[in-house]
Amino acid sequence: MSVPAALAIRMAAIVSTIVLARNTRACRLVAMGGSILASVVTVTVAMTVVRSGQSADGVLFNHLASGIVFSYAVTPLSAWFLLVLGLVAVPVAVYSTAYFAHAVTPARTAGVGAMFNTLLGAVEMVFVADGVITFLFAWELMTLATALLVATDHHVRASRRAAYLYLVMSHVGTGCLVAAFLVLAAQTGSSSFPVLLAGHVASGPLRNGLFALFFLGFGVKAGIVPLHVWLPEAHPAAPSSISALMSAVLITAGLYGLFRVCAFGLGAPTVRWGLTFMALGALSAILGVLYALTQNDVKRLLAYSTIENAGLIVLSLGAAMVALAYGKSELATVAVAASLAHVLNHAVFKGLLFLGAGSVVMAAGTRQLEEFGGLLRRMPWTGLFFLVGAMAISGLPLLNGFTSEWLMFQALLLGFASTPALVRLIFPLCGALLALTTALAAACFVRAFGISFLALPRSAAAAEAEESPAAMLVPQAILAALCIGLGLFPAVVLRALGGVMTFLPGLAPATALAGDGLGMVSSPISFDHVAPVMLAGALLAASGVAVALARRRGVALRRVPTWGCGGQLTAATEYTATAFSKPLMMIFRAIYRPTREVETLTEVSPYFPREVRYRAAIEPTFERYVYRPLVDAVLRVAEGMKVLQAGSLHAYLAYVLVLGVLLLLWLGGTS
Amino acid sequence: MDLALPVIGAVLQSAAMLAIAPLLKVTIKKMKARLQNRQGPPWRQGYSDLAKLLGKEPVRSETASWIYVAGPRVYFAAALAATTLVPVVFAAAPLEAAGGILLLVGTLALGRFALATAALDTGSPFGGMGASRDMTIAALAEPALMLGLFTSALAAGSLNLGVLVRGVVQHGPSFHPSDLLAFAGLFIIVIAETGRIPVDNPATHLELTMIHEAMVLEYAGPDLALVEWASAVKELLYLTLLVDLFMPAGIARSAAPAAVLVGIAAWIGKVFVLAVAVTLTETTNAKLRLFRVPELVSISLGLAFLALAIRFL
Repeated sequence: MSVPAALAIRMAAIVSTIVLARNTRACRLVAMGGSILASVVTVTVAMTVVRSGQSADGVLFNHLASGIVFSYAVTPLSAWFLLVLGLVAVPVAVYSTAYFAHAVTPARTAGVGAMFNTLLGAVEMVFVADGVITFLFAWELMTLATALLVATDHHVRASRRAAYLYLVMSHVGTGCLVAAFLVLAAQTGSSSFPVLLAGHVASGPLRNGLFALFFLGFGVKAGIVPLHVWLPEAHPAAPSSISALMSAVLITAGLYGLFRVCAFGLGAPTVRWGLTFMALGALSAILGVLYALTQNDVKRLLAYSTIENAGLIVLSLGAAMVALAYGKSELATVAVAASLAHVLNHAVFKGLLFLGAGSVVMAAGTRQLEEFGGLLRRMPWTGLFFLVGAMAISGLPLLNGFTSEWLMFQALLLGFASTPALVRLIFPLCGALLALTTALAAACFVRAFGISFLALPRSAAAAEAEESPAAMLVPQAILAALCIGLGLFPAVVLRALGGVMTFLPGLAPATALAGDGLGMVSSPISFDHVAPVMLAGALLAASGVAVALARRRGVALRRVPTWGCGGQLTAATEYTATAFSKPLMMIFRAIYRPTREVETLTEVSPYFPREVRYRAAIEPTFERYVYRPLVDAVLRVAEGMKVLQAGSLHAYLAYVLVLGVLLLLWLGGTS
Repeated sequence: MDLALPVIGAVLQSAAMLAIAPLLKVTIKKMKARLQNRQGPPWRQGYSDLAKLLGKEPVRSETASWIYVAGPRVYFAAALAATTLVPVVFAAAPLEAAGGILLLVGTLALGRFALATAALDTGSPFGGMGASRDMTIAALAEPALMLGLFTSALAAGSLNLGVLVRGVVQHGPSFHPSDLLAFAGLFIIVIAETGRIPVDNPATHLELTMIHEAMVLEYAGPDLALVEWASAVKELLYLTLLVDLFMPAGIARSAAPAAVLVGIAAWIGKVFVLAVAVTLTETTNAKLRLFRVPELVSISLGLAFLALAIRFL
């Protein structure tokens, strides 16, 4: 069992998918079956490395003529990310066997199936790449595969635009990465990661410049504000199981880069780097959740929530960097553990939520929350699993979101207690922001679940919705079970992180955080501990009391219509998703800058309107104030350069001549 | 780990809180009535109301699903389970091993999530309105609540309420001005979280001003009894939390009968003092418009941050 084996299985799956292109069903089964097999191999490899803490390395591909060697190394950090990838990729592949039959036209099945495996294989290579060439090759393959998947429905203009935006932004990011890796390689004369990322290659302003370039490059993929604009466009455009992969795997690749290079690959981080991470992480978290709250498109909502969670991960990674800069290794350990645990937890619950959203969108034929409603009756299982995901992402105890957010709070409070004045004030402020983010996420997912699954159906399609087939429900059940299992026994995650922590420079092993096995403690001063499973016992007993108290023996339950305020209760009188988030929209109007138009059409008297048209929108701040000017500037420069493009062959020959002469003069001058 | 003692303690403490909670509601109602030159309800009113509701036939909406049934039960269970996480009479919480402040806040959030979700289930516009407002206010209150709690926790060096209270008892109260600021900040949040004037009016059923009442408008009979009872327990819990953090004097440190009696008397006395404060706030203030609540909560956030700053800078 090794990484090349997993990649070989994926290659075989890709080839057979394309060969079988005519037979849609076989093509789907081969693509997904191969993917599941490969992911299982990946998980096995990752588990071995995480457990032993020993890296496994080797050569993927050796081109003798050019001397290009693709080498890999499964370090404990890589293994953690591979584990996250595998845990989500298996359920997503199972789901896709049934889902693609509906969501992808037969003509495109082979392409999507091949790209599905290409994306996963490329991300696996990103995680295990041991040199610049391998890394950049895999990185670019990952970008292109995702772009093709986003453009699956390329007859839809929005999909093409989303793919284009994603490609442009990704390539600006990749450009930054290439530049930074070239500088590093020029400093050392090597292209292998153990040399480049040993930490002592660059120093001074050069190191800061490299940090900025790497941050830009990885930040685009991780969806950090203000580099996030592609994310809410690309996620809804792709088929839902691909969206699940994008949130759980692609974003994670960006985060891996931030961990591997920015935090632990450029030498000891400085306080400023850490604070930059914390500030941008907090900004992403709060803006992500605020925008998620007002979305009526369920997949856009989940995409914005991904920005929020990536922000939380970067926020606690930043806390770890500040701690490392001050030499507080215990604090850094708590913060990195929080961060890495949240990478796993987010992948699990966001994968689950996207799969649930996929089932709902498939059943109702729309992504609009306002056209769902009452789905719990039609789709009881999907509803139950979506509820588990919603509760997990809201950071409620007994589920996995709570455990990593608990660790984040510990890191922020310990950070306050052990850093010098002024810097320390940042920590409780971030703590308050984390509390606000969590509570807003709860509001957001009460809305998302309640409006979609409860009350009366809001459209004919929702009233006729059908429950998904078992092949789509079982993967959701697996992920929901993971949410609960990881939430009740967080010590399992911390034990697994032990090897990863010892691999990263400057950290203490996380096993100390695992306590006596029931829950988690935050070292070093028994500051706090938590054992969710004990609370589960108490809650179970208390629910028993509640049920016993409210039980009326021998009295039949009476079912009556809901009071319709004097009129008929219909879907039109229900509270809408827009109305639900309206108070928060008003309170945070400085951020949303909402606009609305109300148009009343009347016939006889203004008191008897025939039709009221209402349009509300929130301002796309970043698109309008950051990207619009940037794009305009680029276009202006391009316009100016058009002068050179005269269209005359003679002019072009003249350019070549002039350039040749100038080069000769320059070269002559230097020798 | 020996589980017998924590389990017995948890059962006794939660049963006691459950039994006393309706009395707190009536006490506040009575005091409020006296301040308005009215008689107020008899002492047993809280119990009579619950008994009446529990004895009624269960009535549910045709549109509602199992979420509607689960809502009040989870809300009740969360409030009840949360009582085992705070020290009341003894300077230790029965289920201290389960977790501290963060778990307590999380457990209450679980109850709120369940009830707000269930409110959307009947299709009544009131449920949605109430859920939306309740989640909004909770979201705004959360950072101020956390920051206020952090001030106490950092001063004591622990986020566990038991450790925290024992620390304060051992070293005596610090009489640091930051305590006053943090207390004022948290008091505002307790008012907001328990749905009291000036944030919410527990006595109103006026369509446009209801928050919590709108959320549970569709509930009747035993289901409503659970919600009412859990809300009472939650209020008692929040006041006990304030008592624990800022005035732990008299709390029992041993199981000696004298210490326990003093502990019980001290707890009742201190909660009563806070109940008087809540009553006075309710009587002397008018209910705020919903969109003025953020201002009130920002005051609390500011106070908590100032407390933190003057304590540790």
